[in-house]
Amino acid sequence: MSTLPLDPRHGGGRFPDFDVTTQARHWDETTRAVVEKRLGMQTPVRFFTESEQAAATALFDQLLYQRSEPRVPVTEMVDARLAENLTDGWHYETMPPDEAAWRASLTNLDDDSREAHGCLFAECDWDDQSAILTAIQNRGSDQWHGMVAAQVWSLWTRYACTAFYSHPQAWNEIGFDGPAYPRGYKNIGVNRLESFEVHDARPGDDPVEGKGQ
Amino acid sequence: MSEVRERNESAWLMTADGSRMEPGLRDNMRRFDDDDEVDLVIVGCGAGGSTLLQRMARAGARVVALDAGPFWEPETDWVSDEAGSHHLYWTEPRKIGGSDPVPLGSNNSGRGVGGSMVHYAGYAPRFHPSDFRTRTNDGVGADWPIDYGNLKSYYELIEEELPVSGEDWPWGDPHGYPQRPHPVGGNGELFQRGALACGITAKVGPVAISNGRFGNRPHCIYRGFCLQGCKVNAKASPLITHVPDALAHGAEVRPDSMVTRIEIDQRTGRATGVHYARGGVSRFQRASMVAVAGYSIETPRLLLNSTSDRFPNGLCNDFDQVGRYLMVQGAPQTAGRFDDEVRMWKAPPPEVSSEQFYETDPGKPYKRGFSIQTVSPLPITWAEHVSAQGYWGADLRNYMSDYVHWACLGSLCEFLALPDNRVTLADEKDRHGMPIARFDYSQCDNDRALMKAATGVMEDILKGAGADEVITINRYAHLVGGARMAATEQKGVVDADCRSFAVPNLLIVDGSVLPTQGSANPALTIMAVAARAAARLTQQRT
Ligand SMILES: Cc1cc2nc3c(=O)[nH]c(=O)nc-3n(C[C@H](O)[C@H](O)[C@H](O)COP(=O)(O)OP(=O)(O)OC[C@H]3O[C@@H](n4cnc5c(N)ncnc54)[C@H](O)[C@@H]3O)c2cc1C
Ligand code: SF4
Repeated sequence: MSTLPLDPRHGGGRFPDFDVTTQARHWDETTRAVVEKRLGMQTPVRFFTESEQAAATALFDQLLYQRSEPRVPVTEMVDARLAENLTDGWHYETMPPDEAAWRASLTNLDDDSREAHGCLFAECDWDDQSAILTAIQNRGSDQWHGMVAAQVWSLWTRYACTAFYSHPQAWNEIGFDGPAYPRGYKNIGVNRLESFEVHDARPGDDPVEGKGQ
Repeated sequence: MSEVRERNESAWLMTADGSRMEPGLRDNMRRFDDDDEVDLVIVGCGAGGSTLLQRMARAGARVVALDAGPFWEPETDWVSDEAGSHHLYWTEPRKIGGSDPVPLGSNNSGRGVGGSMVHYAGYAPRFHPSDFRTRTNDGVGADWPIDYGNLKSYYELIEEELPVSGEDWPWGDPHGYPQRPHPVGGNGELFQRGALACGITAKVGPVAISNGRFGNRPHCIYRGFCLQGCKVNAKASPLITHVPDALAHGAEVRPDSMVTRIEIDQRTGRATGVHYARGGVSRFQRASMVAVAGYSIETPRLLLNSTSDRFPNGLCNDFDQVGRYLMVQGAPQTAGRFDDEVRMWKAPPPEVSSEQFYETDPGKPYKRGFSIQTVSPLPITWAEHVSAQGYWGADLRNYMSDYVHWACLGSLCEFLALPDNRVTLADEKDRHGMPIARFDYSQCDNDRALMKAATGVMEDILKGAGADEVITINRYAHLVGGARMAATEQKGVVDADCRSFAVPNLLIVDGSVLPTQGSANPALTIMAVAARAAARLTQQRT
């Protein structure tokens, strides 16, 4: 299975040839069915309107730095959760339930973009999109279009990360083994690997500023 | 262990390979009619409800437990996967507010037979004797109407039934565990190393994960998916530790049954049964006694929604106590970066803990304390930890690619019981037409001071182990309170035996009755309190 495109400077290629899907035969049937569904074709978008879909896709590409194919189909995965009411249920009193918060926040994103650049968020170039998002993130606990900016940010990143890091291609990128039943692990402890695991090829590539790279 | 088997045969009522409960138990389960007046109907089949169910069935009572969620089959209903485990959580609509709103769902609320323990981590510590007297000793929180000595024998019973494994425990009331400690993975190893370097005592356990075969239940395979439901059946949850024995003794478990109201006879003031929705149909189960065990949000919600002429403000709410004094634990989570590969997801997240900072330290400006435990987030929860630092885009991917190098500790800080941290009913309604719960939370200064202190200690431990960077996310864990036990009806909802003050044949037997929480994970105490309530009810013990 292919890995996702990611420059080594951003942490790409640290686990050469590691592919969790080669272990799928060791997974239990129920789990395998759930995980393999993420690899196949996704249900077409049905919750988001066309313009929401465009804004959401641009937003997810930014949040997850997906700049070229192949991509994890994050928009479709989030759309499915919202369409099927697979939210966490709770919502802040200062925010509507997730479905409505998603629609509103995507519209607001387009509004910001129109105001600053005269075009939709999805039509802005990459750096302008990044700047719009940075400005929202920097608002912290201040209001953004009638909602608390940090709560909107949390909504976006929660859904984005849940979709992206449920995908085997993302697991390959971070060295995670994926499902582990019924086999389990035999070698637990610092620096102890299973036979199918792959060491980090660049252990000094510490994301901490000033180190590695 | 033969003594356990005589009291609770659940582990021996699993199939020989340990993969499931003997299918006959469920297929041939006794089924009561709505019109049968059962001796006891229990609302919620989680930690408290299942314990009561098993005890009462053993005592010969005709008892049925209704649960809003499914009757799980671990092999086919659960997955070894993070995102795929969403159905284990209580995800009905709820509203959160206050100055420090507490997210619900995956983090603290389960559904279905087994309750939240299906996806709890598995730590099973006791409370300390001091937890029962915080008002007297420290001037904060509340005193319980019972003390540690009243619960001790029930702790011992439940520890054998789960069973619990761990090193000899030096804190609180020192005690040992029925099973020896598990081997630890990379995360536990680094906690031990760092604690040693800082002069802090850390111990392996206590976890309700079987170390070795227990009855027909297999041992742990160290796969790290405890919070997604243990498919192996090594980790204890009432679904496998109490429900099988209850069914074998004639109890009924009725899944997919959401209780919406408790009925009260306006003349006698006694409960007559519960209204519930099953498959879209409204039904009524008659019962001569009702026990509520829906946990700290749903129990108050159900009581508040059960209004009548006698109880215009909600059942048992004459003194405006229902829903109040709800607590969460502050649960900051601090991670440290190592050049070594930790691979913290390999091994159960609950491995090693320290209760060295549990008690009030007179030298500190705050009361009460915190515990420290290993937590080992899987990728999605880890991404939440990383993005809480403000990272996104290329920075997020970069940090995430470093996952194998991180160890992670969590703390449980004893937040204090405050009257305005409470559940009320919102205007919004759910699909049963029942008002949804609104949960408000605001921290006090003591709460914040504890979070800060705990974070500092975790940073020291990780750095002591050799970490070159530490990052923290402020989280919350667990819920308790909301219908607390007290000495008088002005101060609480139930008495020391979990009987409500207002309705003679109504009990509450779940986490909502706890007046304080210490910095211990609550499930063992909830089960011990339920086991005691059952014993008091059947007059077997005192
Ligand atoms: C992620 C996570 C990790 C945790 N880790 C730990 C840990 O390591 N150690 C620990 O001790 N604790 C832990 N806990 C907490 C522990 O699981 C709970 O404190 C405990 O299970 C609560 O017991 P309970 O009986 O009060 O409620 P629950 O076990 O939650 O049971 C309540 C049941 O009632 C049902 N219900 C609710 N309302 C209704 C209704 N109206 N009608 C019918 N049924 C209803 C629900 O479906 C549920 O099954 C954790 C919890 C979570 C979510
Ligand atoms: S690590 Fe052990 S207890 Fe946890 S889910 Fe896996 S087998 Fe069960």
